[in-house]
Amino acid sequence: MSAKRAPKTQAPRPLDLAEDLARNGHVWPAVEAVHAALAVEPDDPKALTLLAELMLAGDFYDEAIAAAGRAIEADPACAPAYLALGLAYDRHGGMWDQSILVWQELAEVVPDLVTAHVQFGEALAASGFDEEAIDAWRRALELDRSDARAMYNLAVAALKREGVATALPGFRKAGDLDPSQDELFFRLAGIEDDGEPAPDPAEVGEDRTERLFAAGALAFEEDMIAAAEIVRLLLEEDPDDAEALAIAAYCYLKQEAVNEAIACALRSLAVNSKLQTAICVLGIAFGKRPGLNRHASRVFQALAKVADHEALPHVMLAETLLGLQRYAQAKASFRTAVEIDPSCVRARFGLAAVLLTEGRHSEAQWQVRRAAYYDTKRQRLFWELWDSYSGGGA
Amino acid sequence: MPTKKGGPRPMRPAGDPVAAPKKAAKPRVERPSPAPEPVAPVEPSKVPRRNPMFPVGVAYWPLDAETDAWSDWYARDFDEDFDEFADARLAIVRLFVSWKALEPQVGQYDDAALDRLEDLVVAARERKIQVLVTFFADDRLAEMVDVPWGKKRDPRTDAYLLQREVALVQRVVNRFRSEKAIFAWDLANEAFASGFESTEAFVAWAAMMREAVREVDPERPVTVSVDPETLYRATGVDPRKALDECEFATSHVTASYRAYVAEGPLTSGPATYVDAFLLRSAARGLPVLLDEVGPPSLDNSPAEEAAYARTVLYAALMNRSAGVIFRRFRDLDTERREPYFRDPWEVLVGLVDRHGRPKAAWGEVKQFVRMAAHIDLSRHTLLPERTAVLMAAERYHALPSLAGLYGPRSCLQSYISAKEAHVPVTVAREDDELTAHTVLIVPSVFSLSSEMWERLASFVQNGGSLVYSYGGGELDPVVREVFGVEFQGDAGARRSLSCRVAQPDMLGPLKPFDVPLDVPHFALLGHGGATVVATDAKGSPLLTLNTFGQGRAAFIAVPLERAFAQGDPWSPPAPAKHMLRCVYGAVARAAGCGAPVACDAPEVEVAVFNGDSDDVVLLLNHSNDKVTAGLTFDRAVGTIADVRGGGAASIGDVSFGVPLDPNGAASLRVTYE
Repeated sequence: MSAKRAPKTQAPRPLDLAEDLARNGHVWPAVEAVHAALAVEPDDPKALTLLAELMLAGDFYDEAIAAAGRAIEADPACAPAYLALGLAYDRHGGMWDQSILVWQELAEVVPDLVTAHVQFGEALAASGFDEEAIDAWRRALELDRSDARAMYNLAVAALKREGVATALPGFRKAGDLDPSQDELFFRLAGIEDDGEPAPDPAEVGEDRTERLFAAGALAFEEDMIAAAEIVRLLLEEDPDDAEALAIAAYCYLKQEAVNEAIACALRSLAVNSKLQTAICVLGIAFGKRPGLNRHASRVFQALAKVADHEALPHVMLAETLLGLQRYAQAKASFRTAVEIDPSCVRARFGLAAVLLTEGRHSEAQWQVRRAAYYDTKRQRLFWELWDSYSGGGA
Repeated sequence: MPTKKGGPRPMRPAGDPVAAPKKAAKPRVERPSPAPEPVAPVEPSKVPRRNPMFPVGVAYWPLDAETDAWSDWYARDFDEDFDEFADARLAIVRLFVSWKALEPQVGQYDDAALDRLEDLVVAARERKIQVLVTFFADDRLAEMVDVPWGKKRDPRTDAYLLQREVALVQRVVNRFRSEKAIFAWDLANEAFASGFESTEAFVAWAAMMREAVREVDPERPVTVSVDPETLYRATGVDPRKALDECEFATSHVTASYRAYVAEGPLTSGPATYVDAFLLRSAARGLPVLLDEVGPPSLDNSPAEEAAYARTVLYAALMNRSAGVIFRRFRDLDTERREPYFRDPWEVLVGLVDRHGRPKAAWGEVKQFVRMAAHIDLSRHTLLPERTAVLMAAERYHALPSLAGLYGPRSCLQSYISAKEAHVPVTVAREDDELTAHTVLIVPSVFSLSSEMWERLASFVQNGGSLVYSYGGGELDPVVREVFGVEFQGDAGARRSLSCRVAQPDMLGPLKPFDVPLDVPHFALLGHGGATVVATDAKGSPLLTLNTFGQGRAAFIAVPLERAFAQGDPWSPPAPAKHMLRCVYGAVARAAGCGAPVACDAPEVEVAVFNGDSDDVVLLLNHSNDKVTAGLTFDRAVGTIADVRGGGAASIGDVSFGVPLDPNGAASLRVTYE
């Protein structure tokens, strides 16, 4: 007769534990777990790469450089280590030559990695290789036409070479690529991504609130036709439904029907002059017409007042002021936006542009670097490369 | 107010509660009173050419171009440069010994090279400039310590090379020991010292070289020009033991350290405080010379270099530096290199360009030296810093502990907040004597030893004031007694911080706020006798104040300084910064060591040099925007004048405003009614 043994639960390997902790943002325990893993296998490229990423998360660049360098020595094809190394060099500043080499290597290991080309361009620009930098950003846009940071960098390069007038269309285009203004509209409308799909238009009830939410949700998912159909139903019920008119204006705007968007937004504001969504769409629509910059500026001024906790209205106001060559006011607005949201990439690039007009090049360059800092943090690119590397890819 | 006029300074009323005594609101005056009447200047008749107690100097590197060979060591005509130094009224020039040039063969010294060094020393003496001689230095160019016969052995540890180094040092010291122009002997610069791999090796090397100097020259000061923070950060070598044996210490910011602690533009934000912060942290009871001052990279425009030079010069004088030595006189003429490769120890950027044309920074140096000459530091003394930011011993913990990495950043943020509260502040370490201070700020520490907690308890019991911000982990039981709170655990990270004021004016003019700020910890506190001054939105104590023995202890439930440092140090939420300033300022004020002059611009640093019949007030704008600093004194100001002379303006009020340019500074002589 034998007693049944309880099944043994296997303790997670230190590296798995470290990965788990790192993904959840527990930096210190993750570092301890990585060190435990390195105590067993000191040259494990995965452990070293993870350590580099953790050090980068804490902004400890020297430590990140050391760990990533060792990881690459252990495995020269370790793409996430290249990413961590390049970012560490760039965030450290003043190590552009090393950075250039790393981004070149990474672009070879993962040729379609857009961020590598954007960062490569920024490192080249910081070293004074402007032509090569422009080529790198163009290459990034070839890979992803919607990469706002590459477009912003091209606009900044144009500003350096030819002045504000030439650069402005670039900034406008970059602003259009930037998803933040759409996000602002939906935040103001109270629509959030809850992970659930938008309701089926056929199943939406007749209740106004339900219809309004459905229209917003469909617009959020870029199903403008369905959204417009529901808005039509709402307006049939009440032609003076300001919120429905604002969504209609947004739908027109996304279809590049700027005049119609302006008309709807103005109608909405005639009903409710403080409706933030309508003010937002009207400002963006005015901003799309260079001749209406002054109007856009006034509208964004109003939006910045009513939505004072949001950074983007200040950014959009500043961009219109930039177009009106009111640089001091533009700088103040960009600065306010950065104070509200330090991670606002669009505000950082705008501030860089104004600083360049004042001849403050090193400070402008730092704002560009800071934009890269937040943009690359937001992307969580490391984990994509890590998963691919862990799964046997580069 | 800070003046000795008419006898001892009246004591501030020791108010209880901690808040400053309420004063009637005083009207803020934006500009010096309208139509000031000229008053006879109070300047003494003869002004020295330079300030003998605050020397400014420059490092004079042996090579000016990358195309030069090591054998060109000081081979150029240096008279013109030395004339320029004399014209700028510099007091010190730093010269570098080249071991390779002086001892080309083992035991065979090149007399011509020694004569060249003597020519330099004589040239300095003739211009009334003193010389700081550095023996073992590296600039990544002149190969000064790469003796060809050394066979690539490490000059820091190889026994035979060490013997040769001792011989070289003694030979040079012997030659110049009666030379009055020699100010001090500097054993090594940080680029050389960064090659040491252990603290023991460095301490032993420094002791050996120091002994070698002392055998020949028992009098003259000896130093090693390494900064204890930057060297430790770069190499893990802790040089403090070696520095304690020196007659004076040095401090500087390296490019790498700046990137670690305050990466960003030189002329705004936290970066402008780093030099003074390291200066304070290097002071271990010794005078500290701020050396290697200068932009570390080629990224900055001449205007930015000038703004940086101005900021550092004023910050040094306002923070008790023994003097300033600039990093390089002339730009290095570099070869064309693509892509440009910059070594952190390369010394590239000077005060004049490679053709000798002065840059804007050189003008700043000249202006500053002339201004400083008008401040008689034997008559005007800086008010003592009785508040200290404590750098905990965990700063020396190695990975995987992150405490050693977070510590200096938190301390810098704490130092900046104290400066913004205009509290005279310094930096202390755990092994320092705590009783030298009246207020201790312990910012965002992860852990303190039981022994340290006992020392802090004793410090408070004996009348000290303590500000502690919770940094995570468990707390020592002594916390209950000292802070009057029951620690109930860590509530973990939060994405936002809220403040609701329960006791207005108890810790300064606190205001309620809700701001987005990543705070990694929040201490849950139960009632233990302390007064809850502010809570979070749910009523959990955020700020508490307790009386323990004869002292007071304030507890901040979140690691606010670390949150600022790890978030965006350039734009931490203004209300949260305001709260920290209020707490520091109020605790220091209640302890009798608050701001000597109230200033309404946090970004303006204020230093008061107390004199018999007048005070000297220095102001430094740490931002790159124009600002008007509204100053409010404890008693009516009679006149103000620029220290450099000229007409004085009569004020007749306790308040007046001083307009400052971006990164601007002002130096005022103030008399009272």
